[in-house]
This record gives sequence, structure tokens and C-alpha cells, in this order.
Amino acid sequence: MNENEIQLKIQALLDGELTGSEAEDLRARIETDDRLRELHARLTAVRGLMDGTELPRTLPLPGDFHWSQIAQAIEREDRETKRLARPVPRANWLLRWVMPLAGAACLVLLLTLQLNAPPDLGILLSSDHELELSDDEIDVMTYNTGDDAMSIVWLDYAIDLRPDTLQLWLD
Amino acid sequence: MPEEPAYSSAEEPRLVEWAKVGDMQAFEELVSRYRDRIYVRAYSIMRNEDLAVDLSQNAWVKAWQRLDQFHGEASFPTWLSRIVTNLCLDELRRQKRARMDSIEAMEEATGPIENRLEMETVDPVEGLSREELRERIDAALAKLSDKHRTVIVLYEFEQLEYREIAEKMDTSIGTVMSRLFYARKRLASLLKETLKRDGLIE
Repeated sequence: MNENEIQLKIQALLDGELTGSEAEDLRARIETDDRLRELHARLTAVRGLMDGTELPRTLPLPGDFHWSQIAQAIEREDRETKRLARPVPRANWLLRWVMPLAGAACLVLLLTLQLNAPPDLGILLSSDHELELSDDEIDVMTYNTGDDAMSIVWLDYAIDLRPDTLQLWLD
Repeated sequence: MPEEPAYSSAEEPRLVEWAKVGDMQAFEELVSRYRDRIYVRAYSIMRNEDLAVDLSQNAWVKAWQRLDQFHGEASFPTWLSRIVTNLCLDELRRQKRARMDSIEAMEEATGPIENRLEMETVDPVEGLSREELRERIDAALAKLSDKHRTVIVLYEFEQLEYREIAEKMDTSIGTVMSRLFYARKRLASLLKETLKRDGLIE
């Protein structure tokens, strides 16, 4: 037992919280050990200080006022208890349970419909896909890969092979 | 016409029985008999006049609502005292949650070191009347932390056992023992300082 434990044990002995053989053993040690005897004496003195020392006080309010506050609080609490104990009217029951349930059901329905809707091109841009566009003069085809962060665009342009146009190209 | 009971001269068990069946006047008489006692207990723990008034009023309201649970195992004022003590402990817990209790945390951390310090020896009768000593101890109690003061009040004034204090304070018996020891040691030290300052001891 260390010093701290001995102090607490002696205190428990003085407070009547240590009984039986443990108390007997400690008493025997206190008898034979000067240091423990001194500690025991000091603790006894300190403990004796508190005996019946709670300072009497008077409530700092007039008695009538104090009682009126208590009586009002009791009345208030009783009213509240009665209010809570009253059966809930049918309309309140409808508002309390049916309306929130209906709201939740609508929300679930809306989410389900959205999930089953046809894919939006904008949404699918994150995955690999091809997109083909057509124009009278230019055929455009793109390939987009999200994984590689790359887009390939094919332009299919019908070149006019007339000599002057070809010359222009070659220049 | 039935005669109205003489509340002021009625014995406590009769008043309690009347109050249990809804007699507010009987309950008012009980309040007038024990209001100071309940207030003192709240004040001893909280050390705040307004809070002590509020908590003792709440205790009376709770007592009214729970009268059917009072079966006379303890005396009526003891039962009331337990109610106000519980309310005070709840309030201290609420306060603790609302702020960082750094001073107490420090005291808890330094507990083992403090415990190794020598305990002061005080002769409580030296040059002091019992009333003076009460006032000085009361002033010293005000300087203890909430935890240490509460454990002293519950043990010394409410006369609870270690186990009961541990249950009320949601802690272990070992912690109660340690706090009680520290509180007593601190009280002795504070008292010695006061007595020295007033020239009552050397």
C-alpha cells in the first residue's frame, strides 16, 4: 500500500466505511506505526472540524412570495400534464401522422421516377461514348473518354475536287 | 359544515397524508416548516443565492408531483433534501457541460501530488466559538471546487455513504474517497490560513 492508499484507508476507517478484518488490520498497523498514528490523529482533527458546521440560513424571500411561486409552478405543471394527457382529436391525428407519411411517399415516388427516366446526354458524359452530329456540309463525330480525359473529333468534310479548289488547298 | 383541519398544529405525517390527496394548504404548511432547510442544502452545494432559491422552489414542485412515491422510509425533510440535492447535481452537470472546467481539470490532474502533501493540523476550538468556526468553515467551503464541495456536503451534511455519493455523482467509490480526502485537506489548509491571518493561531 502506498502513502496515498494508506491515507484513504485511514479516512475510510474514521468514516466507518472500513469494516471487518481489513479495519482490524489497519487499526493494528496504526497502533504500531508512529507515522500512521500521526496521520490518523490529523485526519481525526480535520474530520472533527466539519461536525455539525452547516451554517443555518434563511430563505432570502418572504415566505408568502416563495409559496405563491411554488403554487403557480404546480398549477402550471398540472395544466401541462392535463393537456398532454388529453386524447388527440382526429384532425390532429391526421396532421401528425398522415400528412408526413404522404409527404414521404411522394418523395420516394419522385426519386423512383427520376431514376427510371431516359438517360440524359449531359449526365452520361462521364462515361465513354460516341456522339454523332450531321450537317449538310460537315459530318462530325466525336468520341469522348472520361477515363483518359480525352475527346476525339472526326470531321468528315466533302472536299470539292475542282482543280481551282484543289490548287487552293495545295497552296 | 366540516371543520377545517388545524394545519399549523398538525403533525408532519398527517400533513403529508393530506397533501397526498391534493390538499394544497397542508402542502403549504410543509413548505413553511422546511423551506429554510431545503434552501440551506441548495445553497451549500451551489453557493449562489438565486440558483439556490430557484432549485429549492423546483424541489418543492417535484415533491408535490411525487408525493405518492413517499412512503416514509426516511423522514419527509430527508426525502425533500434528497430531491433538492439531485436537482443541484443535475444543475452542476449542466453547468459543467456548458463550460470548460479547466481549473477543476487541473486540480484533478494534480490530485496525486497534492495527496502527498502534509495535512494541516488545526485546533478548531482554539480562540473560536462554535458559531465563528461555522462561519469560517462556510467561507472555506465556498472556496472549494464544485466537485470537492459537493462531496463534502453530501457526506457531512446529507450524511450519505461513499457508495451513495458515488451513485449520485456518477463516479467510483475510489474517486469519492480521493475527493473527500482532498476537500478535507484543503478545508484544513484554508482554515489555518484564516486563523493565522486573524491572529488566532501562530
